[in-house]
Parts: sequence; C-alpha cells; structure tokens
Amino acid sequence: MNVAKRRINAWLFIAPSLILTLVFGVYPITWALKYMFYDYQGFGEPLFIGLDNFSRLMRDKEFWQSVVNTFIYAGGKLVVTLPLSFVLGIILNQALKGRQLLRAVYFLPTVVSASVMAIVFYVIFNSYNGMVNQLLMGAGIISSPIDWLGSKYALLTAIIIAIWGAIGNYMLLFIAGLQNIPDDLYEAASLDGAGAFRKMWSITIPMLGPVLQMIIMLAITISLKGYESIMVLTEGGPYGRTQVMYLYLYKLFFPVTSGGASIQQFGYGSAVGFATAVIVGIVTLIYFYVSRKLNDVY
Amino acid sequence: MLNRLEAAPPAAAARSLRSRKWASRIVLWAFLLIVAAFALFPLTLAFFGSLKSNLELTTGSSLLPKEWKLSNYAEAWNTANFARFTWNSVFVSVFTTIGTLLVGTMAAYAVARVDFPGKKLYVLIQSGTLFISIGAVVLRPQFDLMVALGLQKTLWAVIIILISGHATAFFMLIGFVRAIPKELDEAAYIDGCSFRGVYFRVILPLLTPALGITALWTFRGAWNEYILPLVFTMTQPALQTLTVGLASLKYGVGDAAQPQLMLAGACLSILPMIVLYVLANKSFMQMAAGSVKG
Repeated sequence: MNVAKRRINAWLFIAPSLILTLVFGVYPITWALKYMFYDYQGFGEPLFIGLDNFSRLMRDKEFWQSVVNTFIYAGGKLVVTLPLSFVLGIILNQALKGRQLLRAVYFLPTVVSASVMAIVFYVIFNSYNGMVNQLLMGAGIISSPIDWLGSKYALLTAIIIAIWGAIGNYMLLFIAGLQNIPDDLYEAASLDGAGAFRKMWSITIPMLGPVLQMIIMLAITISLKGYESIMVLTEGGPYGRTQVMYLYLYKLFFPVTSGGASIQQFGYGSAVGFATAVIVGIVTLIYFYVSRKLNDVY
Repeated sequence: MLNRLEAAPPAAAARSLRSRKWASRIVLWAFLLIVAAFALFPLTLAFFGSLKSNLELTTGSSLLPKEWKLSNYAEAWNTANFARFTWNSVFVSVFTTIGTLLVGTMAAYAVARVDFPGKKLYVLIQSGTLFISIGAVVLRPQFDLMVALGLQKTLWAVIIILISGHATAFFMLIGFVRAIPKELDEAAYIDGCSFRGVYFRVILPLLTPALGITALWTFRGAWNEYILPLVFTMTQPALQTLTVGLASLKYGVGDAAQPQLMLAGACLSILPMIVLYVLANKSFMQMAAGSVKG
C-alpha cells in the first residue's frame, strides 16, 4: 500500500479520538480561559470585566483557606501513605509466605469507589451512633464518643479515608520499580559485606531514583486534586474545615445544599479553576526542582 | 556484637541467633497484619452493619449482628431503587468500556504504525489532557455541549464524556501495539489485507490480553465515577448510577436516615468490583504497575 493512502487511513483512525478530545477536552479549557475575564452567572449577557475576577480571588478568604486545607489534607495523606507503602513494597518484594495474598488484601481498597467509601465511613464514623465509636467504647478504649466529623476531627477523618484508599496503589508502584533493580547488585554488595541498611541506602534508593521521583509526583498531584470523598463525607463542612480547593471550585459551578456559594458563578469559577491549576503546576515545578537529584542515573 | 557472638559457646550463639530471628519475624508479621486489618476494617464493618437492624446498628456494640437481616438488601434493592441504579451503572460502564477500547485501539494502532503529518501534535494534545486539570470547570461547557446535542437528559452524555477521557487507555494500548511485530502487518498486506483489515484481523486478535487489562481499568473508572453522573442526573433521579443514588441516601429516604440501607447499598455497589477483583486481581495489579514502567 502506498504511503499517502496509509496516511489518510491513519487520519481516519485517529479521527474519533481527536474529535472527542478536542470537543470535550480542549474546548472546555478554552471556554474557561475566555470566561475567567467575564462576569457571567449562567444567565443574561456575559460582561467583560478584565482582571476583576483575579483581584477578587486575591481577596477571597474562603478560597485561600481552602488552599491551606488542601495542603494539610495532601500533606497528611502523603506523610503516612508514602513511607508506609514504600516499606510494604520492600517487604512484599521479598520471598515471603503469603506474599500474593497480602498484596491482594492491601490493593483491595483501590478497586472501591471513593464516593461509596465516603458513605461507608460516614456511617461507621458517625459520632453518636457510628460503629467505630461503639466498638471503641465497648472495648473500653474511649469513654465518650469521638466527634469524628465535627470541626476538630473532620479533616483527620478525611485524611484517614484518603490514606486507606491510597496505600495499596503506591505499594504496587514501588514493587514494580523495585523489580527493575538487578539482583546481582545486591549479591555483589553482600559479598562486600554490606548490611541491610547500607544496601537500602546505597542501592535501592539510588537505583529507584527516577521511578521514585515519578511516583511521588503522581502522589502529590493526585492528592492535591482529590475532592470526591470529602464532598460526600462532609461537603467541606463543618464551617469549611474540610473545604479543599477543588471542592470550593465545584461549588461555584454546582452550589450544594449546605455551605459555600448559593449562586452559580461561571466567570469567577473559571478564574478559580485557572488559579488552582496554576497552584498545582507550581507545586509540581518546585517538587521537580527539589527532587532533581533523584533523577541522576547512577 | 559480632565479637560477643564469637566468644559465646556455639550452641548458645545459635540459640540466640534463632530467637532474634523469631523476634524480628514476629514484629514483621504484627506490622503486616495490622496494616491488613486497617485495609479490611471498613469493608468488614460495612458488611456486618448492612445485616443489622436499624436499632442494633445505631445502639449495639458488637461486631456481628445478633439477628441477620437479609431483608435490608431486599429493601435497598426494591424500595430504595437500587435495582434501577445498578442497571444504570452497568449501562454506563459497559458502553464506556466498549467505546474507550474502540477509540483507543484505533488511535493507538494508527500512531504506532504510521508516520502521518500531525502525529506529534496529536500525541501532545493527548498527554496534555492527562496533565492539565481545571477540575469541575469543564463540566459546565460539557453540559452545554450535551444540551446542544440534545443528550443532556440521557446517560449517553455521561458515556460520551467518559469515552472522551481515553488518554490513559490510549497510552496503555500504544505500548502493547508496538510490541506486536510489524512483519505481521506486512505479511497481511501482501496477502491483500487493507489498513482496516490489518486492524481487525491482526492487531485486535493479538491485543486480546491488553484489551482485557485496559477494559478492567476503564470499567473500574466508569463504575466508580461520581461527579459526572451526579451533575448530569441532578434533575433525573431515574438515571442515577449506584454511586450517585447511594450518596443521595445521606439526605434520607422519606423521613429518617437509614444507615443500614446505606451500608446495604454500599455493599451492593462494591460487590461487582470485588467479584471482578477476586477473579482478576493479577490483571488489576498489572495495570497499576504498568503505569510506572511506561
């Protein structure tokens, strides 16, 4: 078959993919890039207002509080998830009886929907009649019920749910990375008399470098973007204590029953969307700069 | 440490070494079992809770139900409309998976096999959609587009938008297509196959294992999707999927909150994924691991 004909065929084969991506993926972004300069609430004529949405954004305390909450939420999740799943990955990469079963158990939470799990946690962590408090009190560990979804602990509960859903996934990513390290490096080190910690520090971590860098980047961006389970669990409440930035953004477009804006604000929402994407981008760039050493190939 | 061991009589040294090995093994297994308990506790509580009566669930303090109320499931299925939700979830997930596989394999085949003008730009756009996220903002123009197409009151709106997010599947599939030797294509061309013929008779049959993995990945994503079906079924309760219908129970069916029904509904919506996972947990893990190597 001649080259020209094959090219035409190739174009026909990517056409469905390209059309879908341009219409439902690229166009909505250009839509937001336009309306972030407009005052537009979904009805009436959109009014061009230049950078007004951005100056409002700078003064929007609720937004900046949600940014702070996002960092606490993502930070809390990562500080536990990454070391724990790394250790699990190291352990379950070794010959160990029951290794397959344990991997399967740890990975199980990742097949369950975040929103469904949020409902389950909502019921079992309920303060006055939830099963977690009942069991803890029944076992005599606590004497009065803990208000898991109240303003003091709600963010912590949200973080626990996030950790629960993430550990298995990162464990598996670490295992995949560890399997790429050749065994003879460890054998050579053993011959030279290296102990377990020495091997970890001088072989595992440097050899895992680029993969480690990628896994952590993935973990950071995913945890900054997550809001589904919080939306179902608390809707950002009480008093905005669990409001993360992507949830705040959602509420500007689809006002929910309690808390947050009560009218749709498409223009301002587009500006907030742009700002959140920029914040995630900046964090990613800072991370790449800080972690550049990991990418040195030994 | 070493000196002390050497100084000790051989039998005692061996014994202390053995007991240290045992101690570290106990610590290791304690750690592994605690994490396993953490992974399983919400699902276990949800399962046993879903079989308790409302009264026992809200006041009892034992893990196992005193009276096993299977009727919770019947009630969720019939009165709380879970039969409807399940059908909607199946509908969305099946068509999203078929569509994603079709669109994704066609594009992966073309990009892997042909150097056509604009290929780099196409791949750039695809990877761009993976990295740029402006969150819920896109839902608004997507909704307007569906209104223009007259589909906003059907689940096809959800399905089409989910299929449009096929970039991950595309990048997974392209690696698998590249692994198929090009000589097979050439042999098929010599036998008189067309470009389309090669896709159907050579590429798709050889992709079967990859199709399975990608299908699982896509199916899981569609089954667990919450925000998109929520937005498109806000005014259409009859079209709600399991995730949306379940979350709406939070606001009560009728007068009182019914936690036992929420848990029964949660178990109903988790069950199909658990069954799939038990049958194919290797493939699930493979696809997660593949994203690092790629």
